[in-house]
Amino acid sequence: MPPLADTARPSPPLWRRLAARNEAGLAIALVAIIVFFSFSSEYFLGAVNITNVLGQASLAMIAGVGVAMVFISGEVDISVGSILAAAAIPMIEIMNLTGSMELGIVAALALGLAIGAVNGFLSAYAGINSLIVTLGTLFILRGGVYLYTGKTAIPDRVYLDSFFEIGNGRLFGLIPFPAVIALAILAIFIYVLTRRRFGRQVYAVGGNAEVARLAGFDVKRVKFLCFVISGTLASLAGILLASRVGSAQYVAGVGFEFQVVAAVVLGGVSLSGGIGSLVGMALGVLVLAFVSNGLGMLNVNTEWQLVITGSVIIAAVAFDEWKRRTRTAGERGERAHGTS
Amino acid sequence: MSDARITGSGTASATATASRRGFVEGLLANRLIVLIVLLAVLCVAISIGSSNFYSVENIVSILRQSSMVLIVAIGMTLLLISGEVDLSVGASMAFTGAVAMSVMNATSSLLLGILAGLAFAGGVGLFNGVVVTFLRVNSLIATIATLMILQGGVFIYTREAVQNHHQIPTFPELGAGYVLGLPVPVVVAAVCFIVAWVALAKTTFGRRLFAVGGNPKAARLSGLRATRLKIAAFVITGLLVGVTGLILASLMNAGQPTAGRGFELIVVASVILGGTSLYGGEGTLLGTFLGVLILKVIDNAIIILGLNQDLQIVVPGVVIIIAVYLDQVRKKRHAT
Amino acid sequence: MQPDAAVLDRPATGGEPVLEVSGVRKAFPGVLALDDVDMKVRAGSVHALMGENGAGKSTLIKILAGAYSKDAGTITIGGKQADIRSPRDALDLGIKVVFQEISLIPEFSVAENIALEDLPVDRLGSLDWRRIRREAAALFDQVGFAIDPAARTGDLPISQQQMVEIARAVSQQARIVVMDEPTSSLTPTEIKLLFDVIKRLTSMGMAVIYVSHKLEEVFEIADTVTVLRDGKLISSLPIEQHDHASLIEHMVGRTIEDLYPRTREHTIGDTVLEVDGLKSAKLRDVSLTARAGEVIGFFGLMGAGRTELAKAIVGYDRVDAGSVRVEGQELRPHNPARAVELGIGLLTEDRKEEGLVLGMSVMHNMSLASLSQLSHAGFIDDREERKQSTSFVDRFRVRTPSIDRQVRNLSGGNQQKVVLSRWLMRGLKVIILDEPTRGIDIGAKTEIFSLIDELAAQGLAVLLMTSEMPELLGLSDRIMVMANGHVAAEMAREDANQEAILNAAIG
Repeated sequence: MPPLADTARPSPPLWRRLAARNEAGLAIALVAIIVFFSFSSEYFLGAVNITNVLGQASLAMIAGVGVAMVFISGEVDISVGSILAAAAIPMIEIMNLTGSMELGIVAALALGLAIGAVNGFLSAYAGINSLIVTLGTLFILRGGVYLYTGKTAIPDRVYLDSFFEIGNGRLFGLIPFPAVIALAILAIFIYVLTRRRFGRQVYAVGGNAEVARLAGFDVKRVKFLCFVISGTLASLAGILLASRVGSAQYVAGVGFEFQVVAAVVLGGVSLSGGIGSLVGMALGVLVLAFVSNGLGMLNVNTEWQLVITGSVIIAAVAFDEWKRRTRTAGERGERAHGTS
Repeated sequence: MSDARITGSGTASATATASRRGFVEGLLANRLIVLIVLLAVLCVAISIGSSNFYSVENIVSILRQSSMVLIVAIGMTLLLISGEVDLSVGASMAFTGAVAMSVMNATSSLLLGILAGLAFAGGVGLFNGVVVTFLRVNSLIATIATLMILQGGVFIYTREAVQNHHQIPTFPELGAGYVLGLPVPVVVAAVCFIVAWVALAKTTFGRRLFAVGGNPKAARLSGLRATRLKIAAFVITGLLVGVTGLILASLMNAGQPTAGRGFELIVVASVILGGTSLYGGEGTLLGTFLGVLILKVIDNAIIILGLNQDLQIVVPGVVIIIAVYLDQVRKKRHAT
Repeated sequence: MQPDAAVLDRPATGGEPVLEVSGVRKAFPGVLALDDVDMKVRAGSVHALMGENGAGKSTLIKILAGAYSKDAGTITIGGKQADIRSPRDALDLGIKVVFQEISLIPEFSVAENIALEDLPVDRLGSLDWRRIRREAAALFDQVGFAIDPAARTGDLPISQQQMVEIARAVSQQARIVVMDEPTSSLTPTEIKLLFDVIKRLTSMGMAVIYVSHKLEEVFEIADTVTVLRDGKLISSLPIEQHDHASLIEHMVGRTIEDLYPRTREHTIGDTVLEVDGLKSAKLRDVSLTARAGEVIGFFGLMGAGRTELAKAIVGYDRVDAGSVRVEGQELRPHNPARAVELGIGLLTEDRKEEGLVLGMSVMHNMSLASLSQLSHAGFIDDREERKQSTSFVDRFRVRTPSIDRQVRNLSGGNQQKVVLSRWLMRGLKVIILDEPTRGIDIGAKTEIFSLIDELAAQGLAVLLMTSEMPELLGLSDRIMVMANGHVAAEMAREDANQEAILNAAIG
């Protein structure tokens, strides 16, 4: 049959579509930051430093994958800092007890998974606002960690080389293992979100839960699984941190949730669900990591790094907001048949 | 967070809500009753466990503890009603104490110290308000950023607690003194509460705050100045944080840069527990008051029952989840 | 492009009954929303479902959609008794409801939305994006739409999003498509396109249930009309047995002589509003003046810029150039608060989004713009507020048990009266009404019309933006026709007629 009306509009060229994406702006910002600091310090662009930054960024990136997925599904998870601290305890304790790193890892991941399942159950199935739920678990877990540890560090007593390696070793003597793990996780979940049905369901559920339900998706289950993924990945970050410091620290990850949320939002993941990408999230993490590292190179102390990071977040989100406003104004102008 | 649903106008929804006649109006009142019952049950349970619970000293101590949280929670209630949130209150509180104390040390003047503290905290509120309204940064993110800036900033400002060098004797009175037999912080909190309650219930400011939080577009078209109102709410919150920061510094007789970690979460938890909506346009100060009291009574119980004090951060977490859950169940039962 | 002649040539009565509703009853606490309703829908036909707000149409289609469950009665689909318990069941039984609110994921591509239920995957379970696009393109060829399957759905105009939904219905092998007020946000061209699509669907043997308020559309497209009133079935007749008057009579239960009473002559006074050279992304140099006691009707097709003009005048949207003066005083741009101070109010098209604070009471919504007048030193005079609100409730016959009732519990017409009261309480010089009767039933409409008349009689300048031709011609003293963001024609009431207005609007 002939078409009823010629309503097709050609898609804009690829470069324009890319340029319009949030990730492009972040990538440019990242390059600008790298160029700026490479002029400021000759060591900045060195392979050692770059890989160090990747190593430092890896924890936030691993947890960020889970938090971004929860955000995209239309929920919030701010409990990852406490999960990070909590997961280190079974890691170290079980390893000390059994002498097996593997058992420790399994125990730590199981704890993270269980916490994620609790968050997911309360948010998705019991229907409690997820900000409240994860605010609650943030408190509960931190308190639990204090209670269990008596506010002392639990040291690793078996000194397994393999355990030391996962947090401190380098692949080919160059890339830190945590960075390798982070990149692998990132790659897996980018694939999941863009090429698997489950991934599309995450977007659909966050974008319009009612439509998703009509399409036959199990909205609650999808959200639940996102929390489980988030909890598990946060515990993985906890394992890596425990390896790096050789103990379970009761103050580990205090404020970590804020860093991760900031990076995720900076990366263009919407607080209201359905929008955002893991590439954006990863760029957000890297921008913050490179800023903080570059400032460190300039002998700026960590306090200033906090100040500057905070300012960068405000500036970046404000800029993004401004860009979005001017763009939608332009679109409205272009469109002849708007919804007047 | 996503709130998509099929909307069909007309009968169905109209009649469904018709059945709720009286319920929606009574909703807030009901919620308060739930909180009061919860509080009463807690008090009875604790008094069974410890005979000290009803002692004058203990009640005064609960009130003193509550008043610090309540003062900031009042501001947070106003902010949440207007549709915004401030997570920088804890960091700002610590910084305020340090600033006030060092100005006092430099000038030997209590008044100048207090003014400096209030000006600083009010300034932080103004900054948050401007970033949220003019730069349109989501307040959750904006104030997390401010939190980072303040946490870094306070350590740049001072590595250690700023002591009361001149030992201005009146300063510790702020936190520890008594007026008419009541602790000063309790009196301050009561005054703040009454003023805020009147402002919310009786003034145009309060009414407009609800409207701006409830429907920003309608409010703007009705001639309300949302930007001003929100900035005002941020500044009020800031000033109340300043008051609390001064009381805290007074109690420690020093400006402690590490103070106030996690304070923002306690404040938000009690406000939400009190029934204020996270999405604006809905909330009561009485609820906030009860929310604070419940959390602080629990805190107190942990101490007087000789439990591990680390439970003090576990319990609020459990309470807030249960409270919000019960509230949701109640809402659903009435809705269907 | 014209559809095939054969497609248009459809049987008048349709084929076998594909859907039979019989004895359906649905009660909500306090109200019997559907009382023993029967309906028989034939394959290949368009079945209009009409009735005032509150008649039970929404309840019925929500039962068909699986959003509500019925209390009694049977639903038979294709001869078999159907048990619709969830939206999913409805889809599986071949019922697709296209609600006013588009149910697509705006972030997804058109192709992905179409295949959403069952995204094709390769052997490894990875999505086959190429196949998803190809299948969408093939589907569009089949139903005859020209929409780019790769386009981001949210970027398409509403009309095309509707087409995507309809295409989805075809791909889901729906046998019955229910359209709930499908033309409410479409331009005349788009409506024509939609009707062509409907004809195609019926020619493919699909049944279409068409829910609408608009008589003209029903006469143009429907084969059969079922009318509901107060939850009861009033009639179910072939369209040929109806004329306008009989259909209205069935809907309201009485004959309405004159929908648009003009109770008094308007005394036109001095100029109160001067708009000079407004320019923005969607406005091209709009100037106008309005005088006290005058009703100026604004007509324009979708996208002509009426809503934009309204929002620009009150300073809600930004403008690039131009000025607005009320009684000689200039408004600052982008400052609606100043506009309200000077006495201009805008009643928006979308009550729930931009008009009401749904969680607040009737009284608080009414007084929202008048708080300064109702207060002393910032303290609200509670007694005065109550007195004034009560008087408006009485005067406009706002049906609410109490002024302290949350406004969300009121019907559309009553909500509209609340917003109007807000502006009258404020005491305006100029009021802009953007589609004031949209989504309001006929009874409430007449009340709104006499209110508009009364406003003008009180000396307000009224700017009335409407798409309803009878409303425009009946109420306006002067008519301005907008097209492509500027005023294409201006005519006096006496000179105006439907043809001239439409001609100017098409530009």
